[in-house]
Amino acid sequence: MSVKNGINGWAGTILRVNLTTGTITKEDTLPKYRPFIGGMGIGYKVIWDEVPMDTDPLGPDAKCVFGVGPLTASGVPCSGRMNISLLSCWSKGYSILDAHMGGHIAHAFKYAGYYAMIVEGVSDKPVYIKIDDENVSIEDASHLWGKGTFEVNATLARENGPEFDVASIGPAGENLVHMSTLITSFGNSGGAGIGALLGSKKVKGLAVRGTGAVKIAEPMKVRLLSNYMIKDLVGGNNNHTVPCHAQSWSEYVATNNRWQGAPGVTWDKAPKGPIDSGEQPSGVINVAALRCNKGVFDFGEVAEKYTVKQGGCASCPVRCYTEYDMDPLADYDLPTHVSNTCMPIIKMLEWYPDHVDANGEKVPSTHDFVDKGDAKMILGGAGARAADDYGVWCNYGSLYEDFNMAYTTGVMKDVIDRLNPGEWDEIPWHLMEEGDPRWMWECYRRIAMKEGVFSDIGLGTYELYQKWGMDDASKNVAGINFYDFVNGKNFNIGHNGYPRHHGPENCWQAGTLYSMMYNRDCMIHHLINFCSSGAPYNEITKPVLEHFFGEGCTDPQQHYTPINENKIKLAKWAFIGKQWHDSATLCNWMYPMTIATSKKRNYIGDLDLDAKYMTAVLGINYTREDQEKDSERISQLLRVITAISFKLNLGSSNLRKDHDKVSEWVFDKQPDFKPFEEGTVKLDREDWEKSLDMWYEAMGWDKETGIPTRATLEKFGLADCADKLEELGLI
Amino acid sequence: MAETKDRKSFLDKDYTRRQFLKLSGKSLAGLAISTSMLSVLGVTKEAVAEDKVRLWAFPQGLLVVNEDRCVGCQRCEINCTLTNDGCCSSYISRVKITRNLYSSRNGHGLYTEDNWTYYPDTCRQCENPACGNACPMGAIYADELGVRRVDTDKCSGCGACTQACPWHMPTVNPVTHKSSKCVMCGACAEGCPSGALSLIPWDKVASAAQEI
Repeated sequence: MSVKNGINGWAGTILRVNLTTGTITKEDTLPKYRPFIGGMGIGYKVIWDEVPMDTDPLGPDAKCVFGVGPLTASGVPCSGRMNISLLSCWSKGYSILDAHMGGHIAHAFKYAGYYAMIVEGVSDKPVYIKIDDENVSIEDASHLWGKGTFEVNATLARENGPEFDVASIGPAGENLVHMSTLITSFGNSGGAGIGALLGSKKVKGLAVRGTGAVKIAEPMKVRLLSNYMIKDLVGGNNNHTVPCHAQSWSEYVATNNRWQGAPGVTWDKAPKGPIDSGEQPSGVINVAALRCNKGVFDFGEVAEKYTVKQGGCASCPVRCYTEYDMDPLADYDLPTHVSNTCMPIIKMLEWYPDHVDANGEKVPSTHDFVDKGDAKMILGGAGARAADDYGVWCNYGSLYEDFNMAYTTGVMKDVIDRLNPGEWDEIPWHLMEEGDPRWMWECYRRIAMKEGVFSDIGLGTYELYQKWGMDDASKNVAGINFYDFVNGKNFNIGHNGYPRHHGPENCWQAGTLYSMMYNRDCMIHHLINFCSSGAPYNEITKPVLEHFFGEGCTDPQQHYTPINENKIKLAKWAFIGKQWHDSATLCNWMYPMTIATSKKRNYIGDLDLDAKYMTAVLGINYTREDQEKDSERISQLLRVITAISFKLNLGSSNLRKDHDKVSEWVFDKQPDFKPFEEGTVKLDREDWEKSLDMWYEAMGWDKETGIPTRATLEKFGLADCADKLEELGLI
Repeated sequence: MAETKDRKSFLDKDYTRRQFLKLSGKSLAGLAISTSMLSVLGVTKEAVAEDKVRLWAFPQGLLVVNEDRCVGCQRCEINCTLTNDGCCSSYISRVKITRNLYSSRNGHGLYTEDNWTYYPDTCRQCENPACGNACPMGAIYADELGVRRVDTDKCSGCGACTQACPWHMPTVNPVTHKSSKCVMCGACAEGCPSGALSLIPWDKVASAAQEI
């Protein structure tokens, strides 16, 4: 056997890097942390044990925990994610949350023999952490401080050697900007303010090489299960299981989804000539990576012109990072190589709101570059690269939505003029008005360098709204409560400073419930994946979901029904399942395998697949029930930590009232409709309160406060959590 | 001239795996390749002309390596080590993508100016193998199919094979201290989700070669 330790799936060791003392120690993971699986679970357990919830998130006593899990780098597809747990420096309650990143570094970390890394203390000079198998060291990073992530990652990789993967923070993290990231691979980022936490400790980045291996109990079974998954179950990105262009083998065609690959859809900029996606039948492995074409999904056919290939994470056959060479950006002396996916690249037009011209007319601020309709893509590429280079996090789009709303309502000008007279006129607004891609580099530079009042956007929604009076209609010039007001751009799901991430707009009460359970956007894709898979609702989606969760568990898009027990069952499966994925670690954009590509399976997915992988990797009999119990344990810990943070930092004893409060627009939008009518996604207030009652009951939480009961916590071996809640008068 | 003529017509005539072995790994640029064959190989005429496609003859069929299709997922390394080592690893894999993915010795990879150039290196199964010639223990031998294998009883883990191979393909396992190299099992190609590595069965190759 070619591994350095004898434990199937487990890398075995937790690293502890103390930057104050410069000491590096190693601890065994299994005795204490096995019930918490890995990744997020270990992170939460470490924070629970070692970091009081009223610790300054950017102070010397703060810690962060990098974690991978039993399935990371085990050969299982889509197991390339790394979870980083920390206390929030920006969202209401300053409680626990996670940064998560894909790319390849999770594999390198686990191959090096580690399961988690606790980073604590503060260095007195810039450093990076070097992990070279068993040799771990704190290295000088003085020559990297102040530089952008692309240059830093290139330097770290060059200095350490070809087999090292790397990650770094940008100037935003160094300057303790709340909205900051850690960047690895190309555009793969952990967000949530991890940049600021590492910056506070003077950690510029990581370099990791792992020449070891992960021991697998039944390696051929893992290979066969992986083949089965790629052949019969998984589709395109977000597990969209029906191609959106007709293919000869496919019974159905989706209206629009992320399975854009098809004959005639090409990677035009492949060095030696265009590569045609061709057909990608279910049952065939060797074309699976050509299914997803995120560029075409995000920007239309014009994306093909600049596509070199499709990238993504280690072990994943579904490539959701289109890799572009956008030459029009060279005309602006900007880098032309761009890669990212979803929110960090598709919403950059928000930086370009309409403006008023010299004639007093409201006019658009963007223009196409070479081809009709290419503005969104070219500006998207420029903005994504700028954000990643400065290491700025978008808070799932809230960063530029907040800018856009504050600009268009006049709040931004009013605040800047009052707080810093003269700043407004120094901002090069002409770049925005001319649709110049350098405008975003200017915006991100100001945010990252904390330059002027403009840079308050980098505080994050919660503190920005407080500072600019946007959380109270009586405190801003527009007379609007920006959490609650109804317009198409309001992303805020509640009053906590983070947005929905597929909430009521797609996933009825269920998506709204789990959107409220975290201290950042929920990042749960369990429901949106089957909602937008492309499978016809009545023929596939409804029968498959009801097969798993019972009658009435799901709703068609824009035609919701009142809450019921099976909807709660579905919502709970999704909520605890997210903790599973970030602990295992598996990519929640792809898992679970709810709907399949395979007609011979009647398109029924395999919700037991994750447990089957655990059994094959670990060599123990691990069932879906085991998986759900372990996942619920971590979910309960999340809730306990949230309750304690709200008590210690805000004086709140009631999460239902102070944490789970949904924004009013969710109920007030589309005034011409009543809730549950066809054509609307608005929710009903009375039904929502009933949903919360049922949710708390299903989770074993007090209905009045939304806090876990002692009986619930003891069921999951968390009596110490109950003791602490009792001590604080929360139960 | 005779050789040139023979090579130019090589892919359009009835041939055997033995004949392919002679061509294995050599440049295809300048060869006349029929449309049927291009289709079976999944490559374009331009890719062949620009020497971007490499073919290697395996017992199971023809291994085609198409650099532009590589998406960097590392599943080739994963399937190699699951199959041959009973574990999951990059470093000891017999096919190599990770060392090309970040900042390769050739100046490309995600962390270089040439970000989007990365691809798997495969063993060439050389007729006159530098790895085997360099082994002081005589541990690298050819089996009945001509596949170069490591006799782990003889291997001392000295790394002479790694150094001698122009592409540094054999790797000494840091745990077992034995060299490992490609044994042509085909797991890498079978599990490649983008077709950057593909294994074309001999009957398909032969069939395409009959068509003009």
